[in-house]
Amino acid sequence: MTATVILQVAVGGLLMGLIYALVAAGLSLIFGLMDVVNFAHGELLMLAMYATFVVWLATGLDPLLLLVPVALLLFALGVAIYHLLMARALSVRFNRGMVQIFVTFGLAILLRGAAQFTFGSDFQSIGTSLLAGHTLNLGGVFVPLPQLAAGIVSLLAFGALFVIGRTEFGRALEATREDREAVALIGIDRDRIFALGWGLGAAAVGIAGVMLAIFYYVSPNVGANFALIAYVTVALGGFGSLFGALVAGLLIGLVEAMTALLIEPSLKQVGMFAIYLAVLMFRPRGLFGTM
Amino acid sequence: MDTSITRRRRLELLIGAVLLAVLAVLPLPIQDTYTRNLIIITVLFAGLAQAWNILGGYCGQISLSHALYFGVGAYVSTLLLTRAGIPPTIGMFAGGALGGLMALLVGWPCFRLSGHYYAIATVVVGEIFFLLALNWDWIGGATGINIPYRRSIGDSWLWLQFRIDKLPYHYAALAFAAVAWLVAWLIEGSRWGFVWRAVKDDPIAARSLAVRIFPSKMAAAAISGALTGMGGAIYAQYVGYIDPDSVLYGHLSILIPLPAVLGGVGTLWGPLVGAAVLIPLSELTRSYLGGSGRGVDLMIYGALIIVVALARPQGLASLIGVRVRAPRGLDSGADDARAA
Amino acid sequence: MQRVMLVVAAFVLAIGGGAARAADDVVIGVLYPMTGPNAQVGNDAKAAMETAADIINGSHNIPMLLGKGGGLDKLGGAKVRLVFADHQGDPQKARAEAERLITQDKVVALIGSYQSATAATISQVADRYEVPYMSADNSSPSLNQRGLKWFFRTSPHDVMFTQAMFDFFRDIGAKTGRKVKSVVLFHEDTIFGTDSSNAQKQFAEAAGIKVAADIRYRGNSPSLSAEVQQIKAANADVIMPSSYTSDAILLMRGLHDVGYTPKAIMAQSAGFAEQALIDAAGPLVEGVMSRSAFALDATKARPAIPQVNALYKARNNKDLNDNTGREITAMIVLADAINRAGSTEPEKLHAALVATDIPGDQTIMPWKGVKFDSTGQNVAATPVIQQIKDGKYRTIYPFDVAVQEPEWNVGK
Repeated sequence: MTATVILQVAVGGLLMGLIYALVAAGLSLIFGLMDVVNFAHGELLMLAMYATFVVWLATGLDPLLLLVPVALLLFALGVAIYHLLMARALSVRFNRGMVQIFVTFGLAILLRGAAQFTFGSDFQSIGTSLLAGHTLNLGGVFVPLPQLAAGIVSLLAFGALFVIGRTEFGRALEATREDREAVALIGIDRDRIFALGWGLGAAAVGIAGVMLAIFYYVSPNVGANFALIAYVTVALGGFGSLFGALVAGLLIGLVEAMTALLIEPSLKQVGMFAIYLAVLMFRPRGLFGTM
Repeated sequence: MDTSITRRRRLELLIGAVLLAVLAVLPLPIQDTYTRNLIIITVLFAGLAQAWNILGGYCGQISLSHALYFGVGAYVSTLLLTRAGIPPTIGMFAGGALGGLMALLVGWPCFRLSGHYYAIATVVVGEIFFLLALNWDWIGGATGINIPYRRSIGDSWLWLQFRIDKLPYHYAALAFAAVAWLVAWLIEGSRWGFVWRAVKDDPIAARSLAVRIFPSKMAAAAISGALTGMGGAIYAQYVGYIDPDSVLYGHLSILIPLPAVLGGVGTLWGPLVGAAVLIPLSELTRSYLGGSGRGVDLMIYGALIIVVALARPQGLASLIGVRVRAPRGLDSGADDARAA
Repeated sequence: MQRVMLVVAAFVLAIGGGAARAADDVVIGVLYPMTGPNAQVGNDAKAAMETAADIINGSHNIPMLLGKGGGLDKLGGAKVRLVFADHQGDPQKARAEAERLITQDKVVALIGSYQSATAATISQVADRYEVPYMSADNSSPSLNQRGLKWFFRTSPHDVMFTQAMFDFFRDIGAKTGRKVKSVVLFHEDTIFGTDSSNAQKQFAEAAGIKVAADIRYRGNSPSLSAEVQQIKAANADVIMPSSYTSDAILLMRGLHDVGYTPKAIMAQSAGFAEQALIDAAGPLVEGVMSRSAFALDATKARPAIPQVNALYKARNNKDLNDNTGREITAMIVLADAINRAGSTEPEKLHAALVATDIPGDQTIMPWKGVKFDSTGQNVAATPVIQQIKDGKYRTIYPFDVAVQEPEWNVGK
């Protein structure tokens, strides 16, 4: 095994890790805000990929141009889910923790069924885009452009989320998270903040969906491939910590790829899960968790 | 006060016995195999959900690794049968013992974690064992294990094999569900039951009362895991084929608690009611709408879960007058103004 | 609560009553995954089975067995009616659905079911109820080795398929002088990939071909980049993937991403038979070879193909492929046996199935024919090797049924 091979696999793992991180970011955001784990997160990713695919199919527009529209669409969807379901789920008097788990789990199944109903069960993929099929050769290490672009977009999205965190809205988010009762007294509409939080979380996964659609396939079940990894990423980084999600995503991508290369490909997820458990033994709230 | 509790508990036992009798004769007039199968799966899941309820409901630990204990039970009893010729009626106890042991093994590191960290850790542990089983050729790996009907033995209770007759499996599942229910009933009235309620409602207060939280969680895990393992052993005999996908896969870790959650978590009747509604609905929608290939069955099933969870957060059992206390569950401590 | 139970009870009763049906219909139960990760295959299978029923019942005059239509003549022109069930790829559900079809819909035979794990339980149920199970497309070689009297399989299994691949390696090596010296096995980790790679290992050893790497990967992974890198590092003569559609797409795109152009790819069909892969990978799949039980281009030897394909395409807007071709054939063979039995009585039907001896040119398959051995396996099912050219699979082997010369880059 040459150094090039190891370097190549590491690069691939880190690029994938940036995607994991971006998918996890939305999940982490929603959790941090209102203590809700969205089990339909993978399905939001799936819908974003379908939205990208459908528009590409109908108009031939390059998926990169769809970043903003799809993010906005998912933002609207996130807000709608909050108002239609989550606001109710948060206001129940019994078993709030479990109600939210199973409401979002039910939503996941519903969305999968709806996707199959609407788009059929065929595997679809975007055939043409500016980036598709191009690859950079950096001294024997190959970096596919779509993955590279996805990694860069992921970093940019994290940058944007950090910036949002410093705005007035971000401070309102922070305040709402710290003390849900007190914010009402200083005139912050908690419902609105929560809805915006869901919108932002969904928009982040929407961006991940557009970038993934360029090089991945689309099917009603595609979300499941990413969902479990997203939960593990969030928990590893620490619930509610955006920075934690970024670091954990990179770590998981790297560990997954290295396990596949050095130990056994079919056990690569065992590698990433083992890392998660090991970290939890020493840091029960994840790498950067405070909650 | 004390006597009214005793009276209520005696009444529960009486209702339980009547229900058992009703369920014992229920399939007799039904000749149709499909409906009998539906009842068996429903009863089995009522028992499994009750087993989960002991750890997830009464003890308040949202475990999402019950597929693991179920799978261990199924694999142990099946391997004892196919490799050593030990009858599954004996093997299921070995499967249960190992299921309980496995639950202790998972609980030992994971109980230190709180809330979502615990839930996701249990998912991950289950997934690790699933992947290992898939790659472990000695136990059949991905190919799974076939449990053939042995005509030389014929229909037999000892070997728990019946060619066409569904009734014996019904009684096996019913016995299992009854045991799970009885254990839950005993726990409700025991010192452990009080301890767990205390742990769930207020861990800090419980600790100050010098309650040893960790051992009590371990006890809940062992009982819950052992019962789930026995359920897995019965399932394996009933279906006649196991592979990691069907008895160890993570999806099952959601399906097992689902009836308890929708029926009423931490209640005696919740898992029963939940299973009685949920399992027939999911089976019937698949059987009569799934063939369309359009995903309509999934949409209905998903919508149903949402509606029940939102409309009856305390569980469907509350509709028939089961009193439900308000446990804080996952997010203990971080309560909401609206919840008050 | 009572209300909910009432609705459920009413539902159960309504179904228990059963829908009225014409007395002389022959009812056959069809089991496939109609939802879940393999829903696409199940829905294609549904269209294929409906096409077969249409051929049997309608009036088309297609040059094949039962191609005249008009129902089953020895049963007074009885029509074949299909009842579909969704097993979601779950062995327990497959078992329950098989029982439902047998006991409620009174089907005379079962047919299905794609995933071998579901066939394991369906065939057990069929055996217990003494109803034939016709395996149309399950490829696990262990299925017919379980001593089940009521199991029949028209399709070749993985050992037969793999044999064809290595026969091809031998013959093309002799023909061109450029022999296969090493292979990379690349297979997913469920029953399909495991069985397939086990057979490939055995044949490779017997042929003295080195297995440069045996890569067992997790199906439906988010990424296969590390695995693809291992393929590249091994740089063998032939890559032999056993993958479903999703992973096949990632594999073909991934090989390109790391700048690797393999000399040859010989696939164990599955995902490689799907149009979705060809759409996704476009020019990247040019030259890929796959075994197939079906050859769409064998129209000279099998004149029924164009008409059957047109009928299928009208339903599903796709051409027939390896799976759907086998599904139609299994249904026709089953219906023919029922017809020859002249009865739906199980023992007579069983005897008719055992006596099956259909010459290949009476089917749409490039096989020698259909003839079951004592385990219920069709021993005359001879696979072909195909290669993609201009986005379409074309038959290249056996040489006598080939429609084009193989493009063989090994050893160049």
